[in-house]
Amino acid sequence: MTDKHPIISIRGISKAFPGVQALSEVTIDVEAGELHAICGENGAGKSTLMKILSGVLTDYEGELLLAGKPIRFAGTRDAEAAGVSIIHQELNLVEQLSAAANIFLGREIRGWLGFRDDRAMEEAAGRLLRELECDVSPRALAGSLRVGDQQLIEIAKALSLQSDILIMDEPTSALTESEVSRLYRVIERLRKRGVTILYISHKMDEVFHLSDRITVLRDGRWVKTLDTKATTAREITHLMVGREIEAVNFGTARQPGEVLLRVENLSLPWPGHARGWRLKDVSLELRRGEVLGIAGLMGAGRTELLECLFGATTERPTGRIELLGQTVNFRHPREACRAGIALVTEDRKRLGLFAAMNVGENVSICTLDQTGAAGFISRASEWRAAAETVNRLAVKTAGLSAAITSLSGGNQQKCIIGRWLQTRPQVLLLDDPTRGVDVGAKAELYRLIDGLVRDEAGLSPAGTGGIGVIMTSSELPELLTNCDRILVLSEGRLTASFSRAEATEQKIMEAATIGARLAG
Amino acid sequence: MSPTPASGPRWAIPFHELALLLAIGLVFGLTGLADGNHTYFTKFNESAIIILRNTSLLGIMALGAAVVIIAGGIDLSSGSMVAFSATTCALVMVLFAEEGDKRLATVGSLGVICGISAGVLAGFLVGTLHTWLVTAIKLPPFVATLATLVGLRSFARAMCEFVTKQEWGNSANQINVNAPFFLWLKQHNVWISTGVFLVLAVFTWIILSRTVLGRHIYALGGNEQAARLSGIRTENIKWFAYCFGAVTASIAGIFAMADGSVAQPVNLARGYELNAIAAAVVGGCSLQGGIGTVTGTVLGTLFLRLVIDAVAKLIKSNADVYEGMIVGIVVALAVTLTQVRQLVRNGGEFFAGTRGIAAIPTLALAAGLLAMMSGANVDSLKGWLYVFGAAVGFAALIALSAIKLIEVKRRRGA
Repeated sequence: MTDKHPIISIRGISKAFPGVQALSEVTIDVEAGELHAICGENGAGKSTLMKILSGVLTDYEGELLLAGKPIRFAGTRDAEAAGVSIIHQELNLVEQLSAAANIFLGREIRGWLGFRDDRAMEEAAGRLLRELECDVSPRALAGSLRVGDQQLIEIAKALSLQSDILIMDEPTSALTESEVSRLYRVIERLRKRGVTILYISHKMDEVFHLSDRITVLRDGRWVKTLDTKATTAREITHLMVGREIEAVNFGTARQPGEVLLRVENLSLPWPGHARGWRLKDVSLELRRGEVLGIAGLMGAGRTELLECLFGATTERPTGRIELLGQTVNFRHPREACRAGIALVTEDRKRLGLFAAMNVGENVSICTLDQTGAAGFISRASEWRAAAETVNRLAVKTAGLSAAITSLSGGNQQKCIIGRWLQTRPQVLLLDDPTRGVDVGAKAELYRLIDGLVRDEAGLSPAGTGGIGVIMTSSELPELLTNCDRILVLSEGRLTASFSRAEATEQKIMEAATIGARLAG
Repeated sequence: MSPTPASGPRWAIPFHELALLLAIGLVFGLTGLADGNHTYFTKFNESAIIILRNTSLLGIMALGAAVVIIAGGIDLSSGSMVAFSATTCALVMVLFAEEGDKRLATVGSLGVICGISAGVLAGFLVGTLHTWLVTAIKLPPFVATLATLVGLRSFARAMCEFVTKQEWGNSANQINVNAPFFLWLKQHNVWISTGVFLVLAVFTWIILSRTVLGRHIYALGGNEQAARLSGIRTENIKWFAYCFGAVTASIAGIFAMADGSVAQPVNLARGYELNAIAAAVVGGCSLQGGIGTVTGTVLGTLFLRLVIDAVAKLIKSNADVYEGMIVGIVVALAVTLTQVRQLVRNGGEFFAGTRGIAAIPTLALAAGLLAMMSGANVDSLKGWLYVFGAAVGFAALIALSAIKLIEVKRRRGA
C-alpha cells in the first residue's frame, strides 16, 4: 500500500483572513493508510487546514499534492472526485430528507427514463449502513435520528463516494460512550479497507487509542509530527498550549454553605411520546459554594432539567422549586434571570450567540437595563462593564467591537459566561460548557468555575459569597474533576447520587444505563 | 495568554450609508447635467418638493418596514394598511359630519381629530392582530401579513359601502374628503409630511440605537431563541415591531388621503408595501433580521425616489410608468453591490455556468425593449425605433457574451 509518495503532501500552505493569519507555512506529509491525528487548540488552524484539504476554501498560498501530483480544488465537488471527504463537526444533513436521500444527495441514482430510483438508493444505503453497524432504516428522516446515527450517515456518504481520504473533525464531540465505541469499530473497518484518515480531536485518550502519528499545530504553525507510540499525552498537551497544564485539581477545600436551590418531585411532561415524561420526580439540592454535576446519556433529560430550573421549557413542569427558601414558578427566562439564575446553553451557536453583534454587545445583552435610565442605554457604562468582564475573564479578542464570530470557541464561551456573570446570579447553570472548547481553554474554564463557587478574586457577584453551580457534561472526567457531587439521570429519572469521593466513571455509567436496561 | 485590552473603535464606519450618500449625489449631479433643461439646478425647489412629497410618504412606511425586518419579521400588509387607515379616518368623519352635508366639506375639528385618531388606532389594532397571529397562532409572519394584505383592503371597502349606505342612503366605494383641515394639509403636505417623516425617523433612530428596546429588536432578529434565553420577552418586542409597522403605515394613510382628497379603499397605495420593503433593503436591512439602520433606510428611500424621478426626467414620461422596473433594478443592484466585494474576492463570475449563458439573452432582450420604449420621445429616432431597439439589444448581447468569454478565459488561465 505504501507509495513512494505520501498520499497527501501539504507544502508551505498559508491562509490569511482579514485580521488573522490562520495558517502560516504549514508542511505536513500524510502516508497512505495511516490514521493521522491533528491536534491543536481552537484557533490553531486545524479547521482552516481541513477546509483547504476538502475544497471548502479555495484561496490560499502554498501547494497541495495528492499522491505526488499537485492539485488545487475549485470546490468540494473537486475534492470529492479526487477521493477526499470530510465529516464536519457540525453535520451537513438535510433533516427533511431520508437517510438514503442524504447519502446520495447530488449523486442520485437514476433509473428508467432518468427518473430518480429511490429503491436502488435505499438498498445501497441500507448496505452501507449495515456495514457501519447502524440499524437505522434508510427511509428514516435524517432529522429524526440521533446525532451518532446522523454521523454514520455522513460516513456512509463518504463510503459511497469511494473516498480513500477521510477527514473527521471532532467526530465524538456529541456522541455517547457506546456510540463512541461503535465509531471506533467503524474506523478500524475503514482502515482495513485502506482508507487514510485525518482525525481532529481535543481528546487525548481518543487520539492515543486510534492514531499512528500525531501532528500538533499551534497559532497557525506546524509544531511537530510525532509517532504516537513514541510520545505521551502530556507531551502533546504541552506542545499544543506551549506550556504544561498543571493537573487541574481543586475542590478538596470547598465549603458548601446554605441551600440555594431545592427541587422536589420535578416532572416535565412529554406529550405525544410513549414515555409521557421528559423528567420524572427529580429532587435535588444545591448549596452555596458547590458544583453539582448532572451526568447522563444523551436524551436522559440533562438539558431539560436545566431548562426547567430556568423557566425555559415550552411545557410547564410540575413539582416544587425553591430558591433561597422561596417557592418560585418561572414562566419565562426573564423571571429566572431576575431571581438570580443564569443558564449558559449547550448549543452556543444556535442558543447563545448573536452572530451579527460584536463582542461588547454580546456580553451586555442581559444587563442593558442597568446601564442607563428609563429604557435608554448608556453606551459608556455598557462598554465599561463589558470591558471589565472581558478583561476579568481574560477573553482573547481584538476589542469589544470585534465580531463575536472572530473569536475561538473557548473565548466565545467566556463571553457568554461573562454575559451571565454581569447579571450577578446566585445559581449558575452550565449546560456542557466545554463543548467545542480546546484543552487550554477548558482548564481556564474549570479554574473560572472553581473561582466562582469559592468567591475568589472578585469573580463572583460582590457581597454574596460564592455562588452555586450546576453543570452537565458529556465527558465524565470533566464532571469528576469539577463537581462536589454528581447526580445521574437516566431516561428522565434520577438514578444515583455520588459524592466526589465515591464517584467513578464505572459507577456513573452503570447508573446512567439503568433506565435503558429496564426498558430493554 | 494575556488578555488583549478591550480597546479599538467602538463603532464601525457606516460604509453602506456613505455609499448611498455618494450614489445620491452622483444621480442628482448626473441627471442635472444630462437633462436638457437642467431642472435639478434651475428649478431646485420645485424638483425638491416633488421628490420630497413622494419620499416622505414612502419613507414613513419604510421606517415601519425596517423595524419589522430588523426584528426578524416581515410586514406585507402596509399598503393595505394605508388604505384601511384612510378609509377608517374618512368613515369616522362621515359619522361626525353635519346632517345637511355628508360630503364632508363641513366637519368640525373634533371630527378631524377623532378621524385621525381612529386611523392611527386601526394601525395599532392591526399590529396587535399580526402579533397575535405570529406569536400565539404561530403563523409565519409572511403568511399572517399576506392574509391581512389581501383581507384589509376588502374589509375597508366593505366598511365603506356599509357606512355610506347607512348614512347617505346609497352605498359608495370611495369617500371624497373636502374638510378644510385636509385641504390645508394638502396645500402644505410636503412640509408637514416631510416634517412628520423626519420626526419619525429621529424617533426610530433613538429607539433602535439608544434604547434597550432597540437592542432587543436587533437581538430578536439576529437570534430569536438566544434572545428568549437571555431573558428577553420576545413576544413583547414583536408586539412593538408589528404595531410600529402598522402605525407608520396608518400615518402614511392619513397623508395619502389628504394628498388625493379621497379615501378610496380599492386602489389607494396598492403595491406600496413592496416599495417600502425595497427601500429598507436598499438601505441595508437584511431580510434575515438583525441588521439594518434608520440612516440607511432614510437614504435608501431617498435614493429610490430620486432614481425614479431622474429616469422620468430623462425619458420625459410619467414617473409611474417606469417605477416598478426601476425599483426592481435598484434593489437588485444595491444588494449585488454589497456583495460585489465578496464576489470579486472569491473569484466569482457574473455569468457562471449554463445559467449564466441562459441569462445573457434575457438581459439583452430587456435592454433592447427598454431602449426602444425610451427612444419614443427622441425626434431623430422617429420611424427607426424598432431598428434602434434591435441594435441596442444586439449590442448588449455582444457585450455580455464578451464578458462571459473573458470570464471563461480567465478561469482557464487560472
